[in-house]
Amino acid sequence: MAKIALRLRLPAAVSAAVGLIAVMAAVGALFPSVGHTIGTLNIPKSVSNLLGGGDYGTITGWFRSEIAAIYGPLVIGALAITGAAATTAGEEEDRILGLVLAHPIRRPRLVAAKSAAIAVIVVVIAVATWIGLIVGVALGGGGITLAHMSALAVQLAFFGFATGALAIALGAGTGRRSLATGVAAAVAILGWLINSFAPLVGDLDWLKYLSPFYYYAGHDPLTHGVDIVGVIVLGVLALVLTAVGMVGIERRDLRA
Amino acid sequence: MSASPVIATSGLSKDYGSGRGLFGLDLEVEQGEVFGFLGPNGAGKSTTMRLLLDLIRPTSGSARVLGLDTVSQSLEIRRRVGFLPGDLALYPKLTGRAMLDYLAQLRGGVEPRTRDALVERFGADIDRPIRQLSTGNRQKLGLVQAFMHEPELLILDEPIAGLDPLVQQSFHALLAEVSSLGRTVFLSSHTLSEVERVTRRLAILRQGRLVVVDSLENLRKVAVERLEIEFAAPVDAAEFRALPAVTEVNVEGATVTVGFEGSADAVVKAAAVHEVRAIRPREEDLEDIFLHYYRTDAPA
Repeated sequence: MAKIALRLRLPAAVSAAVGLIAVMAAVGALFPSVGHTIGTLNIPKSVSNLLGGGDYGTITGWFRSEIAAIYGPLVIGALAITGAAATTAGEEEDRILGLVLAHPIRRPRLVAAKSAAIAVIVVVIAVATWIGLIVGVALGGGGITLAHMSALAVQLAFFGFATGALAIALGAGTGRRSLATGVAAAVAILGWLINSFAPLVGDLDWLKYLSPFYYYAGHDPLTHGVDIVGVIVLGVLALVLTAVGMVGIERRDLRA
Repeated sequence: MSASPVIATSGLSKDYGSGRGLFGLDLEVEQGEVFGFLGPNGAGKSTTMRLLLDLIRPTSGSARVLGLDTVSQSLEIRRRVGFLPGDLALYPKLTGRAMLDYLAQLRGGVEPRTRDALVERFGADIDRPIRQLSTGNRQKLGLVQAFMHEPELLILDEPIAGLDPLVQQSFHALLAEVSSLGRTVFLSSHTLSEVERVTRRLAILRQGRLVVVDSLENLRKVAVERLEIEFAAPVDAAEFRALPAVTEVNVEGATVTVGFEGSADAVVKAAAVHEVRAIRPREEDLEDIFLHYYRTDAPA
């Protein structure tokens, strides 16, 4: 079941991965000519936080703002969420699950297989991000250690597992594709906004702990390496949400 | 013949609200039968089939398939049943072959020769992506997957939809074969001519309730008879409507079709006062039986 889900979704993920590597190479190649100029710009703190609080003058800040804060999580989140919603609720709405589940397959096993396929897609994108970082940083003149680049890819993968699992929970739990896509995307975007703005408002600083984005990038993996706590939180969140999807689909009627 | 029925439902209900769903279905289907499950769209046929496969759960009542409870022992039921959903959907990007391989794998594999024989029998195109196939060609794949593991029970929701007459013929032949091997077929339809040729016993469902379960033979007995009378010149239909046993009169030019219950005597005598060119008995078909039960509040 995981194999067929992959076969249907992998081509799109691979094109996204190739595009991601190309963009990151271009971003890196651009740094030597624009980095020093942009580094002197006076950007408001709120805008800067949205972009990962980056200091554009350094290659780390440059990649943090261009890739780590927006492009990487956007691509991985979009593919994980749309893929997870399509392979569960989408197939249910398209009436394919009605045929598949007339076979001797337990529903939780189906959800587990679909989740595994989405996890593979997330890993493909995370690896592409890692390759893109290595190429981009090299073209930009170097300056980030391989360990820190790997750390970003790992954190990004776990961010993808968590957002994908949220869409699995919603998709398998409700059988409604647009609800699963919309709510999971809203949570991801809201998480990004909260993580960016909460620290600016002293009293609301704690809100950032509710954001999956905080556990992905709050620790700044490009500067500080892997954040074990963040990885564990996102990993456990992914497992719990997948389990919610497995229980949810078992308890309800198939919709179509 | 096994002692216990292959399908047995007891007060099986699925209430979707506002009068929609299935209500208190008591039905038994015996081993080796080709059982027709009839009713107009929305009567609850698909709902019943989905309940039998545990795709949806009953609001009340219960059902046993192959002696197993449809909720607690569904996995074993699904292993031994072949299902063709109404309005079949498959992965559009896959070829028929890849789709059949996938579904076979969900069953832990099937005998390739059985599958290939079915593919050949229906002339199914398994090398093109499913999105390029016509409805009829997709339906052939649906039939192949339902039969390919040689299940003890086939649950087929509107199986003939979109099939051309030649394929319908091989489908009917296949039904006769599996039935002669002691396997059971439970098939639904709302177009009745297709069921007429293959079932001996059938049930009619209307608005979620069972209207009648009987053999085709018995159902024919209670049905209205019809005579088609061709006159030399148009006659007044009212002459026939006035007769006590007449249930319906249709006029088309100088030809009058009269439906009646019981003896034909009054109809023939009323016709005899005019110049009659021909009298033809109209073959009673299942459609009429069906409409009879559908229109009137016939007792269950």
